[in-house]
Amino acid sequence: MIRILLVEDNEMNRDMLSRRLERRGYEIGIAVDGRQGVEMATVGGYDLVLMDMSLPEVDGWEATRQLRAAPATHSLPIIALTAHAMAGDRERALEAGANDYDTKPIDLARLLGKIETLLPPRP
Amino acid sequence: MTSGSEPSHALTSEAAAELRHELRTPVNHILGYAELLAEDVPPDSAAANALRTICVAAREVLTLIQAALPPSGLARADALRTLFTQLRAPQGRILSATSALLDGDPEAQFAMDVERIARAARQLLVVPVPADRTEPASAPARAPASAPTPGSTSAVTAHKGRVLVVDDVEENRTVLARRLTREGYAVDAAGGGEEALRKVASGGFDLVLLDVMMPDLDGFAVLDRIKSNEATRSLPVIMISALDDLAAVVRCIEHGAEDYLAKPFDQVLLRARIGASLEKKRWHDREVDYLRHVTRVIDAAAAVEKGTYAAGSLGAITARDDELGRLARVFDSMATGVRARESRLREQLEQLRTDITLATSEYAASPAAADAGTDALAPGALLAGRYEIRGVIGRGGMGVVYRAHDRELVEEVAIKTIRRDLLSGDPVLAEQLKSEIRLARRISHRNVVRTHDLGESDGIAFVTMEYVQGLTVRELLDTRGRLSVASALALARQFTEALSVAHAAGVIHRDVKPENALLDGEGVLKVMDFGIARFAAASSARTQSGLIVGTPAYMSPEQLVGEEVDARADLYALGVVLYECLTGHAPFEATSVVSLIAKVLSTEPVPVAARNADVPPAVSALVMRLLAKEPAGRPESAARLFELLAELG
Repeated sequence: MIRILLVEDNEMNRDMLSRRLERRGYEIGIAVDGRQGVEMATVGGYDLVLMDMSLPEVDGWEATRQLRAAPATHSLPIIALTAHAMAGDRERALEAGANDYDTKPIDLARLLGKIETLLPPRP
Repeated sequence: MTSGSEPSHALTSEAAAELRHELRTPVNHILGYAELLAEDVPPDSAAANALRTICVAAREVLTLIQAALPPSGLARADALRTLFTQLRAPQGRILSATSALLDGDPEAQFAMDVERIARAARQLLVVPVPADRTEPASAPARAPASAPTPGSTSAVTAHKGRVLVVDDVEENRTVLARRLTREGYAVDAAGGGEEALRKVASGGFDLVLLDVMMPDLDGFAVLDRIKSNEATRSLPVIMISALDDLAAVVRCIEHGAEDYLAKPFDQVLLRARIGASLEKKRWHDREVDYLRHVTRVIDAAAAVEKGTYAAGSLGAITARDDELGRLARVFDSMATGVRARESRLREQLEQLRTDITLATSEYAASPAAADAGTDALAPGALLAGRYEIRGVIGRGGMGVVYRAHDRELVEEVAIKTIRRDLLSGDPVLAEQLKSEIRLARRISHRNVVRTHDLGESDGIAFVTMEYVQGLTVRELLDTRGRLSVASALALARQFTEALSVAHAAGVIHRDVKPENALLDGEGVLKVMDFGIARFAAASSARTQSGLIVGTPAYMSPEQLVGEEVDARADLYALGVVLYECLTGHAPFEATSVVSLIAKVLSTEPVPVAARNADVPPAVSALVMRLLAKEPAGRPESAARLFELLAELG
């Protein structure tokens, strides 16, 4: 089963997105801030990270940078989720090392397309 | 919410971004849950319709938010008020739909999710507009620096740095100034290139944010002027421009800008880049400050050399808590000490001058001075076709000393003629004498009478020397009796310097005595006859078979018994001179040379302090040490003696 790490501080967003993804057959791990996200991703077992950018403790940009810099998580696919509140969020997410980005509100079909594109080919 | 009475207020872009985020978050929840629930209900059911209504309404809300609060550009308060009015309709549709969904007594999870949608919809109209973050759009951009808005964070006096914002568009200036003020910077603004240059020239800025596109003088021209001026070169400049392309960035960096920011600004990036530039500037300023302080310490060293150093003039540098501060403190205390010592030396010299003045007038009045005796060269005679004899200065074992006028160099010289028998009697001795004179010529010091030349003319051998108008220490003692401690020390110091420099040149005087030391009117002591006098003594000894002639009163025990002497014999002789200066008596007084020699070899002199209570024990002890029978008991060199004298103060 494909395991996705969802790093999101907003309880409703977590609930909503995790439930919708679980329905699509993914196993979802939850981290509530950037620090926990980095820890969980480093421990391993995830195939992809959905990273909210506005996070407490360590924000999504920094967490993404840390994951990109560490050998264990260097090639882990990361999709940045931005609130689309500021111009330049996209550029910054990609600059930080995210493989792709998506804006909220989440268009699930679009997000699923991006997730599938980034996952390694399965037999 | 903004009050309706201020339609012209605009929201800063940072506040707009926050508000945008606050408004969108509940809409995202509404959409997310509605779509989630839609997957659980049959597509053609009433519930599916209600959920579709919710989604359509939510998307309408997003469109309205996007229009009122565009991600780039300014949000105006009147547009915001319109937005909140416009939101009521879709919000109503969402709430109605959630009511309909709950009517059918759904299962718990479904009901809970619908309730979440309703809660998020209600939240839409209670999002607080940050009213304290609105500002009049017409506010002058320069206001924040000098007159911070009451209650804003810029009211703190200790700002993080002074920033000049240069932009021809008033709104841009205002927005940037407000943002930076809130970050804790003191901000000033300029509406054009010329105004910016005037403000930069007036100084006091830590950073310039410079717009590239300006009508009067563009950003590149302003940047060039700032960077080509020595006074403003180190001022960091961050270029701001809507031209977000690589060429523009490269051009800015090539023109010397520290950084580059593209519009619209990312607040985080802006903060980080300004912070980094200012930190760099602070390091630069610290370095410049350090170098300036180093220069002041170097200047202070030059001032000490020139004698113009004032105690404490290193001021704040001595308060520095680093190695430079330590250096400045040590330097100041040393220089002040040197100055105090110099001032004591000046007093001593002043006293010596007074003694000399008095002695000169007394000596001139004495009948002995007029007795010139019979001399080989009469006044007016011309020696070697060059030296015009003016008169006799004195007589010694070697011959007569004349004052003469050197026609060639047009200056006064002293000429010491050398007895013919000294040079002709023993060729080896004659050669030694010439060799000594050659050595002595090498000594050039203010306390040594300069030896010019050795010459011979019409059978007269002579040495020409610097002419010093003054009197000998012998004459001073003869007229003044003993000297004050201050005068004696001033004399001792100069004598020691002369010996020190001669010894270093390999020349031992061998006949240090008051007669061989001249004092000019300024109190400058000049020692003469280095290396020469002993030939008179040697010659006499030779011709008068075994009798030691010369000046045994100043000769060290080892010299008296004919042992090899070294520089310490000169120190012994100086000890005798000083003993005489301080007490008015020679350390050994005898009626015959034989009894004198016996005393010098076997008895201890009465301590100086016992003969003159005015002499401090340390001064007395030092003179007695010079008079030690064994050379090893004396200071090891004139240089060491100089140090010991300096320690006396």
